[in-house]
Amino acid sequence: MTDLTTNVAAALAMAAGEEINVLWRRDRKGVLTGWCRLPCGEALLPAARAVAELEGRLAMVTPYLPERAKEKGEREIAYHFDLDGATLTLTVVLPLEWARVPSLTPIFRNCDWQERELMELYDVQVVGHPDPRRLFLDHTLPHAPFERLVPYSTFTNAATGKALWDKVLAGEREDA
Amino acid sequence: MTTKIIELGAHQLALEEPMYFRVKLEGDRVADLDVLPGQVHRGMEHLVMRRNLYQNITLLERLCSLCSNSHPSTFCAAVEEVAGIAIPERAEYLRAVADEIKRIASHLFCCAVQANAIGETPLFRRIMEVREIMQRAKEAIYGNRMDLAANVIGGVRYDLTPEAAAYLAGAMEEMKRPLDELYLQFGNNPALMARMAWVGVLPREAAVECAVVGPVARACGIDYDVRKKSPYGAYDRLKFEVPSQTAGDVRARNLVRLAEARQSVSLIEQCLAQLPAGPLCADNLPEIPAGEAIAKSEAPRGELMYYLRTDGSDFPVRLKWRVPSYMNWDALKVMLKGEPVGNIPLIVNSIDPCIACTDR
Amino acid sequence: MHIEVEETAVGPVRLFRINTGSCNGCDVELAVTSAVTEFDVEQLGCRYTESAHEADIVLITGPLTIRARDEVLRLYAQAPRDKVTVAVGVCPVSGGVFRDSYAVDGPIERHLPVDVNIPGCPPRPQALLAGIGAALEIRRARRDGEEPARNPDHRKHHGTDNFPARGRMSYDAKACVDCRMCRHVCAAGAIRFEAGDGGVRLTLWHNSCVFCGLCSHYCPTGALSVTGDWRLDHRAADAFTQIERGEVPYAPCTGCGEAIIPTAPQLLHAAFRRPNPEIEKLKNLCPACRQLMSIGVPRR
Repeated sequence: MTDLTTNVAAALAMAAGEEINVLWRRDRKGVLTGWCRLPCGEALLPAARAVAELEGRLAMVTPYLPERAKEKGEREIAYHFDLDGATLTLTVVLPLEWARVPSLTPIFRNCDWQERELMELYDVQVVGHPDPRRLFLDHTLPHAPFERLVPYSTFTNAATGKALWDKVLAGEREDA
Repeated sequence: MTTKIIELGAHQLALEEPMYFRVKLEGDRVADLDVLPGQVHRGMEHLVMRRNLYQNITLLERLCSLCSNSHPSTFCAAVEEVAGIAIPERAEYLRAVADEIKRIASHLFCCAVQANAIGETPLFRRIMEVREIMQRAKEAIYGNRMDLAANVIGGVRYDLTPEAAAYLAGAMEEMKRPLDELYLQFGNNPALMARMAWVGVLPREAAVECAVVGPVARACGIDYDVRKKSPYGAYDRLKFEVPSQTAGDVRARNLVRLAEARQSVSLIEQCLAQLPAGPLCADNLPEIPAGEAIAKSEAPRGELMYYLRTDGSDFPVRLKWRVPSYMNWDALKVMLKGEPVGNIPLIVNSIDPCIACTDR
Repeated sequence: MHIEVEETAVGPVRLFRINTGSCNGCDVELAVTSAVTEFDVEQLGCRYTESAHEADIVLITGPLTIRARDEVLRLYAQAPRDKVTVAVGVCPVSGGVFRDSYAVDGPIERHLPVDVNIPGCPPRPQALLAGIGAALEIRRARRDGEEPARNPDHRKHHGTDNFPARGRMSYDAKACVDCRMCRHVCAAGAIRFEAGDGGVRLTLWHNSCVFCGLCSHYCPTGALSVTGDWRLDHRAADAFTQIERGEVPYAPCTGCGEAIIPTAPQLLHAAFRRPNPEIEKLKNLCPACRQLMSIGVPRR
């Protein structure tokens, strides 16, 4: 394996105090993506520090409700880091209810908005965030719209489409 | 010294899109800044989960019109990665052509808007006229001046006939001299120097800390371009330089953009010269299995990243993306600190702010 | 007072743009109509203003987000009472691809009255000028106390079009096989199918369509095609009649007489290039009779 994959493995193992499995994929152009599921939520902060030591850049944070989230009572957050062109994804598995993650802002300044967005769109508490205000959502909208699994017509205005089509089809009948 | 807080909106900032700032002033200088986004929040990351993968090609192209092609092409690349599809070589080149055409038009629009922000109206009009060469080319080849509709899962859905290729080659020839002239003008014209040099400086260390990408990063000497660092599509077979500057000011950002636009002209010419024959699309209706993938590209404003998670149906379980503009807003706090109020519109426009992209 | 009236009669008509949360496509093209000589609104006797108070014509872009709504309505209320309102692009009229989002509060007509629509995604500058021209006509007619003409004959192609622009979609029911792939891939929900007594009817609403042409790309028989007709501006009162439609008639199965959608010759040619008479026979059979003919027994 390359220096990069060796270094990442060593750094993560050092941070977690145990061997952490990273699955590396190399695409047709030779670009590496590494996928790693952290053993617990507490492992996130030391792992993020280890990535920062390797001069990693926080690229993106993806919170999501995985397949059968309700059944399993689990949710996941994927933290994607850039390592000079390679992408390392660290995934933390959290409980569906009362999920909490530590803020990575002390390590990565640009995590600020990513975490503000995560907090308003999902039901996740980010512990230690310096500025937990809403970012994009209007104050009149309910909290955490992404938690509601589709469809939820009382919340979205899915009725708009139907109302418009009723007018189109009514106009058509007048025409005929 | 008096401290005062003012609110600035789109009209004061000469922005095409609605965005608000709360600026803390000490005397007539900026002391601190709060960026208040959300006006263009259309809930798009939620909408994409309620639309199938085909519908999302068109939906994502409407994320933002200035970098419209980068979104569907990067999204399609993520789907192709999940499905293990290798797109035909001709399609790789045609995707690069579409992306580079958009890059030139986007960079010119950014430079034009800045000229307007400092009252250089004739220069603003001149750049917009030059940009029209690209607008006409887009309409001629793709049928629309903003949204190209070039991508499908597995490849592209447009072709370059010999006539269209000749037309595009002519347009590229037409671009060279104006781009060279504009580069010299932004680099050396005393009136522009007076307004843009040493203004809105972002030091390299601050750029690393803010994690900025694209021309904003390259203007501070951070030599990062996704086309080089994580090659995709045809870029591993194309020769190009990644222009960079070290001053980190408004002038440096524009010089990077204008030099990049000139590189794009060369990239398009290489694509036209090397364009291999063959199919445009791997498989019209491929099976998309369950899986996850990352796809990245160098959009006009820098690194664009997509994460796709699928479950074997044609609706995504999650589709997340992070646009290059996202980090640039934070860097404005550094760039604006200590600057006079009169420089705010120019500096804000110098990051090539894309609000539709940021708010989603 | 007298002088003021005379001044506005000869001075430029002032345009004011409100972005309600657009992708910026329409806004960037409107910027072209203030910067590029060929498309400058000056040729219509107009100029842009930065003050809502001065607006003779208000140009609205975007699907209207909830977050932008209050500011949009505040600006709109500042504009003079006799302003003419133009919806630019399909977003204000139908929401376009953003329809049904939790963050969108359109269509705009729920909040304010629109006079002219300019479909397109985004409309090309020529279409913007045509739409602004239509708004000027309404303004003139209102000042003269007349009812503005409803359907001026404007559906003429632009003389200088060397390459066709992606315009209105066209539907050929004769080629349609009712596979509904077009509806499946349409991000904007612009296509509807309805089963009637005599056949299946397709309706495509031009004020929802975003002119991407993906329906035509995936249509296996060429029943949907992109036309170069980009001149689609119309009075807002006619918004819901801007449609393309056609009916695929049922025909009796030649085996059992059940009403079916016969296979269009375009599909047979796509599948077999040169279908033989045996295959031709299949096209007017229902699935059960096709199975009977090919394997001898109907599958249950």
